[in-house]
Amino acid sequence: MSRVPQAPLFVREMGLPARFAVYVLVCLFLLALDARYIALGGVRAGVNALLHPLQLALAWPLEWMRGVGAFFVAHGDLVVENERLRRERDRIALAALDRVALAAENERLRELHQLPAWPGVTPLLGEIVATVPDPFARRVVINRGHVQGVRAGWPVVDAAGLVGQVTRVYPWSAEVTLITDRDQGAPVQNLRNGLRIIVSGMGSDNLLMVRFLDMHADLAEGDWLYTSGIDGVYPAGIPVARVVKTEPPRASPFASAYCAPIGGVGRYRHVAVLKPVAETPAATEAAPAAAGGRR
Amino acid sequence: MIPESPLLPQGAELRKPPTRTRVYLSLALALAFTLLPWDHDWRWLLPDFTLLLLLYWNIHAPRQAGLGAAFVLGLVTDVAQGLLLGLNALAYCAATFAVLLVRRRLANFSPLLQTPQIAPVLVGKEALVLALGMMIGRGEADWRWLAAGLLGAALWWPLSWAMERLGAHAAPPAPERRA
Repeated sequence: MSRVPQAPLFVREMGLPARFAVYVLVCLFLLALDARYIALGGVRAGVNALLHPLQLALAWPLEWMRGVGAFFVAHGDLVVENERLRRERDRIALAALDRVALAAENERLRELHQLPAWPGVTPLLGEIVATVPDPFARRVVINRGHVQGVRAGWPVVDAAGLVGQVTRVYPWSAEVTLITDRDQGAPVQNLRNGLRIIVSGMGSDNLLMVRFLDMHADLAEGDWLYTSGIDGVYPAGIPVARVVKTEPPRASPFASAYCAPIGGVGRYRHVAVLKPVAETPAATEAAPAAAGGRR
Repeated sequence: MIPESPLLPQGAELRKPPTRTRVYLSLALALAFTLLPWDHDWRWLLPDFTLLLLLYWNIHAPRQAGLGAAFVLGLVTDVAQGLLLGLNALAYCAATFAVLLVRRRLANFSPLLQTPQIAPVLVGKEALVLALGMMIGRGEADWRWLAAGLLGAALWWPLSWAMERLGAHAAPPAPERRA
């Protein structure tokens, strides 16, 4: 019975409204500190490092049940899938042969024109372990973090196309802001005619938008948009979106277009973080010099 | 003058206050449940179990779970979910304050009758999070998230029933005083 806490006879503490006011002030202070400055990054990373193993442990039974479910897949399904994967592998192998030749040719042509080589990337495979429950943003958490070498700013792709960008790195996990996030944009190029535009997210899982499009720009339904690589963040040539609809200018002097993302944004589990091989600053410094030389 | 029967209900009617361990353990379990990797497609519908249990303990054991517990739980939620630090903490504190103000009144109602009185608090918390996000300038809010508050209110009665059944603050074996 001694463990049952007793209500004190005389209450010696601030009144409820006063205590509430203190907590509100502290919360607002923290909010302002976190929203305007990056002072709390260390605190966040520290607490997250403690919480992350716990979250993994909590998710483990669910993973286990999923694994058990996958064990009882019918034999026929496996045969069909195996066959499909074989065909897919052959197709990719053929495409890769082609690609090696093309890359070599590209390299030669670049040397001929004295252009800097594109900064190469190495993929760092990871898995989406959670989505961030935020009504304002589209973010996911992957199971690769600072320890595995992930840094903020690196692009994230999946088998189909661009998925997003690493925006916050914890010791063993990282937050990826999807390209469908409202504040996220990607510089792209129209595959058909090389038109350079910027697509940005709308906060919807299956729509991207070109907000400011020149009235006379040649962008049509069905066009494929690939990253142009001019921002130094996304390497060139990653599929991003396909144009679904273009809208003529009405209220503003700009036209706009809606696109469907190609990457499995919000669908797939496996992604790859693209780790730049060459340091990006060097590459971006080299580019203007070469451009200046040509002028 | 000694009355035949006591004026105030005694014995079995008086409840043993819940222990600190029970309160904190159940709050930690609720927090863990909230932090499970829920599917993104219907994440907006998921009620805030941490807040539900926090409010439950605010009504039944205000000395164990108060503004301090709300603040700490809110901060942990913020970090775990990667939101702005202090967002959920502020919302939890506000909800706790609202419930503590009317605690004595609420405690007199059955869980079923408490539901319509808890619902505004739960929906208000979701609205506060959305409104704060808009004030900080994070764009348009996804107002579907308000539904989580309503679903939470619907879960209030089962939760109260379950907590009582689990003996969270069960009555001690009634000492038969007078027949």
